[in-house]
Amino acid sequence: MARTLVIDLDRCSGCDSCVVACKFENGVTLGNYWNTVVPVVPVGTHPDIDMYWLPLQCQQCVNSPCIAACPTGASYRDQENGVVLIDKDICQGCKTCLPACPYSSPEGNVKPSVRWYNEEANVVEKCTLCNHLTATSDGVENIEDTTDPAHAVPPCVHNCSCKARHYGDLDDPASDASQVIAQAEKDGRGVHLVEAEGATPVARYILSADIAAWRGLGV
Amino acid sequence: MQDTLTRRSFVKAAAVAGAAITMSSALAGCFNESKEPEPSGSSSGGRDYYTSICHGCIQACPCKVYLQDGVVVKIEGHPDAPTSLGSLCLKGLNQIHTCYSPRRVLYPLKRTGPRGAADAAWERISWDEAIELAASKIAEAIEKYGTYAFFCSVGGGGAYSFMQAMTLPMALGSPTVFEPGCAQCYLPRIAVGGYMYGGADQSIADCAVLEPFKGLAPKEAAKGVTQDTKVLVLWAAQPSVSQTAQSGRGMAELRARGCKTIVVDPNFSPDAVKATIHLPVRPGSDAALILAWYRIILDEKLYDEEFTKFFTNMPFLINPATKLPWLATEVFGADAQTTDPNTPVYVCVDEGTGQVAPLPFGDPAAVKAQVNPQVLATATVNGAQSRTAAQVYRDEADPWTLEKAEEFCWVPASRIRAAIDLYAGAAVAGIANGVASDMEETASQVPVGLVGLDMIMGYVNKPGATLTQNNALPPEGSPRPTRFWNGFGGMFGQMYGIGYEVGATEEANAARIAAIPEVWDPSMQSPPFMNQSTLYAMNQLLLDRLGMKEHKGLYEWCHSHIPTVREALETGEPFHPRVWFDMSGNKFAVLGSAGAWYNAIMNGGADFIICQYPMITSFQVEAADLIFPLEEWLEATGASEFGQLNYRYPSPGIIHLGETVPNSVPPKRVCDAASLKLNEKLGTVTFGATGKSMEEMGIQFPLGLGVLGGADSEESIWQSQIDTYKAVPGAENVTTKEELLEAMKNRPDFYLPTPPEEYWTYGQHLVKAADGLPLGFATESRKCEVYAQILIKMGRNGFPYCYPREQAHIDSRLGSFGGDYSPICNVPIQKEAPQVANGDQYLGKYDPDFPLAITSGRVYYFHHGTMRHAPFTRELYPAPHVRINPKTAAEYGIANGDWVEISSRRTQGTNYDPSKAVGTELSYSGTKEQNTKTAEPIRGIAFVAEVVAPGVLWMERFWNPECYDSSQSSKTGGWQESNINVITNAVDPNFNEVFGSYTNRGFQVNIKKSSRPDRVWFEPKEFAPFLPENKNEYLPDDIGVTISNKALLTEPVAFPVAAGGEL
Repeated sequence: MARTLVIDLDRCSGCDSCVVACKFENGVTLGNYWNTVVPVVPVGTHPDIDMYWLPLQCQQCVNSPCIAACPTGASYRDQENGVVLIDKDICQGCKTCLPACPYSSPEGNVKPSVRWYNEEANVVEKCTLCNHLTATSDGVENIEDTTDPAHAVPPCVHNCSCKARHYGDLDDPASDASQVIAQAEKDGRGVHLVEAEGATPVARYILSADIAAWRGLGV
Repeated sequence: MQDTLTRRSFVKAAAVAGAAITMSSALAGCFNESKEPEPSGSSSGGRDYYTSICHGCIQACPCKVYLQDGVVVKIEGHPDAPTSLGSLCLKGLNQIHTCYSPRRVLYPLKRTGPRGAADAAWERISWDEAIELAASKIAEAIEKYGTYAFFCSVGGGGAYSFMQAMTLPMALGSPTVFEPGCAQCYLPRIAVGGYMYGGADQSIADCAVLEPFKGLAPKEAAKGVTQDTKVLVLWAAQPSVSQTAQSGRGMAELRARGCKTIVVDPNFSPDAVKATIHLPVRPGSDAALILAWYRIILDEKLYDEEFTKFFTNMPFLINPATKLPWLATEVFGADAQTTDPNTPVYVCVDEGTGQVAPLPFGDPAAVKAQVNPQVLATATVNGAQSRTAAQVYRDEADPWTLEKAEEFCWVPASRIRAAIDLYAGAAVAGIANGVASDMEETASQVPVGLVGLDMIMGYVNKPGATLTQNNALPPEGSPRPTRFWNGFGGMFGQMYGIGYEVGATEEANAARIAAIPEVWDPSMQSPPFMNQSTLYAMNQLLLDRLGMKEHKGLYEWCHSHIPTVREALETGEPFHPRVWFDMSGNKFAVLGSAGAWYNAIMNGGADFIICQYPMITSFQVEAADLIFPLEEWLEATGASEFGQLNYRYPSPGIIHLGETVPNSVPPKRVCDAASLKLNEKLGTVTFGATGKSMEEMGIQFPLGLGVLGGADSEESIWQSQIDTYKAVPGAENVTTKEELLEAMKNRPDFYLPTPPEEYWTYGQHLVKAADGLPLGFATESRKCEVYAQILIKMGRNGFPYCYPREQAHIDSRLGSFGGDYSPICNVPIQKEAPQVANGDQYLGKYDPDFPLAITSGRVYYFHHGTMRHAPFTRELYPAPHVRINPKTAAEYGIANGDWVEISSRRTQGTNYDPSKAVGTELSYSGTKEQNTKTAEPIRGIAFVAEVVAPGVLWMERFWNPECYDSSQSSKTGGWQESNINVITNAVDPNFNEVFGSYTNRGFQVNIKKSSRPDRVWFEPKEFAPFLPENKNEYLPDDIGVTISNKALLTEPVAFPVAAGGEL
């Protein structure tokens, strides 16, 4: 099982609608962001420049250093579908997972970060791939019934202004996520990982060289 | 603008008015007890969804709105939407925080203290009292000062009351209405489309350009509808930002299908980032770039020769004395007029003989047998050396070589050349022209140039072009097309009789006016609904409208010239508008030179200000005396009727809060109530500046048809939805609001598509007309008028808008075409510009105090003045970014993320003396002039990146509703802190000649490092007071929060039909 988001950066306009869709769906409080959009600003000299936007959320790492680091067992992997999650009833807000995650800020309070420390609730939070909606979904949305649990997608995917975001299991070649990667590879477009030391991310990013050179997070 | 009025609907409305009951009796008991949430929903506890269409920007994305226990809990994009295809942006998602904002106004409010935000206080009053107060103030002012004492304004963000704001002043005998968009947003472009071919313009944001998005939806593609636009030019447009989910999705789909794009934008917008070719033009220099395109396209014969010769006026020889095309009858005598008199024969140079010859309109093959017009030519006509229109254009373009364009526009010549080749080399391409030029001196020149480019390329009425029409093809044998002028595509002309029907003969126009009866004839079955006295009075309003002598293009929407209105408030000249009904949001955020407006109002310019809006913005908190509460989108039935491409979606009121009403209701109530009062005094009420009484003029209130647009009750608005959507299969038997909601509940297919063949249509001009010729276009020449000859006439006497009377000639110093409005693209003087090599001839004197060019553009987060109250938006974008190049930032000692201060002449004053500056910093620091035109400099956050050229800044409008939050120890109106419109230039007479557009973009500023302004929130958690769980700011404590508050879940206000009594 390799459930994840696949994001097509040739399409992403950086509009932040995914962030707001997530906040409404998950009740994310002010100052916390289960996903963010990082503008990877131009290098080069005007007007010979390129840029892209990099939406960032939990990368669903295969090795999941957050789970290894968590002293309470709050960070865990869903036994049914393999999604990396946090059980907020167990989490004690110790923040041990934050430095363990190479995509998170040490205190979970500064962008870019995929894990955020919710001060009021004293827990660490992150993207769940909307597992409450999608746990049994095959990742191919039923447009006649978007609430259909067999085919639901996260609202950040459904509402994405430019259809940059895709959801699904990369181990299932029929999922939307797998299909969009297969098509990109066929078209000769780049398929990238946001690489970080100690992480084996599952999330994939598509970016064509004629839009911009891949620079990861650009930092 | 679907508000066309037929005689039938007029009579119907009048009959209902006759059955009016008084307001008080009908409202008794209406507001005191709370009702169960509606619609009740059959599955209590569960979620039901209703189809609706987002109202978050000027476009409209279909969506599903989920309701649970009477509360909207979720909104998502509708997957069957033909362009947005299920996408919905953060503006749509945030509607929940708008509708349930603690800032909502839910009851009529009257100011109890002095004006100003510092001590603003409000008292809840009844609708009865509110309408009576408004009507009394209006009637008193009109009685005392005449009908011109009343005026209206409107805007484009959140509450669209365009028709009401235009028609209410006219109904009450006043010519004064303005809208900060208008000349600064879309009016120039829509007007130019009309002037040049009587067709749809090039605006993608305003849904004129739809063709590129055709065939994207799988359901349409399955019907064989194809996506045909392969090359698209986005000139000063950023659809992925401004229409985030609709055009943003559309553009992403287009690019994924291989469509090549050229983006002309000083800013590295998302569409520029993804462009095939990006031309980062210097702000304000677009006209020169356009002329560089003309120069190459004409010289290298890249244009469509057949279309240019036979369907444009480019080969017409122009009389140098009149600047109008020679008529064949002037040169060859009456016999040369070989077509019907409604289709003039002009004069060209015959390529075969080299001689001057008549050039009739007709089928190209037939005309070719007679004459082969030369496009670029000069000849002697009646003794005068005359150039063809194309030659006039070529001569204007002569200075603009690629090298000169590079120097002036700051775009590499090789890129310009590549863009021209991609555009002109395409089988079909199209230009989508954005808003920038509407906000610059070039408001007429740029759209004239860009529409003309598509015309000479023959990119007209073809699959894939942007100049296309989306309605059923006219049948063969139709009459020659004409266009009726005056107000929104001639609508006012048809109703009020004023305006010339272009394409009809002078005799036909005169006969139409003569047929208007002396006495009102109630049996009239067709427009104009007018007698001669009313026609005369209405026509007088047009002639007296503020600023119209110089900027006659504003007649397109029947709007006044904004700076001239402000001057009238300041000086009382030529008349003093005193009682103001504003039907929009934050005027201080969106009016240019906001400080001058604030001073004009707060120094006593307006006696009484009535507002209607769903919230209290800076404008209401500072200036309103009375506020009518309006419905927000989720409450408002029929609020958004734009649809998406050929699909229409219902717009039901899904909830209702407090005593909010549809935006069309209060203007109609106020008009009726004021008219009743004033009609008792017709002998003493003076009509405008005539010095005559209404009685002497032979007219009464309301003039014409009264207030137009929308319905005058919630019931009739629902009826209109029912009438439309009973056409959806399964809804045939719907007769009530409840049944309609039930019919659409949880249905994924509740919408109405128009068959593709009735919507995606081409070759309109080639259909055979009644006279056997091709239909052609609705212009004087029946051709595409690349040389917009109508503009020459317009400047001289107001043709075609003011007909049958005449407006005065413009001040000839104003006209950039030898004293006339320019009929072609030229380069007018840019008043404020940076140092540009060899550019002096086209630029005002360089002002070293303000060395940086600034321009503007939307960000995803907001539409116009909306959404600054939305906490999930503000935490992401708490303050406006000032985009600045790293090189420039380093010169000024500015780092990414710094607060910076921006100043312009509007903050420092015209007498500012730089010699008094202290220190060595590049920023100004001299003594600031204090006068009514100045305000404090503004502040924003530096976004330092290579996204703009060195020397260029970019910033979007902003305002800060937190500045008057109840948690603040002292309050301001929140419009001065970070609002670029404080520094824009609407005070200097550098207006566009035709439209009077002032300068919101492409002007000069200075910048320095600064600090966060007082009261302004920046950290995410600071925005908590904007969350809906907070107590409503304008309700008593015992009512509490807006959301999930059963006390506020009410039935819509059941207005009696004519509040204030029977007319």
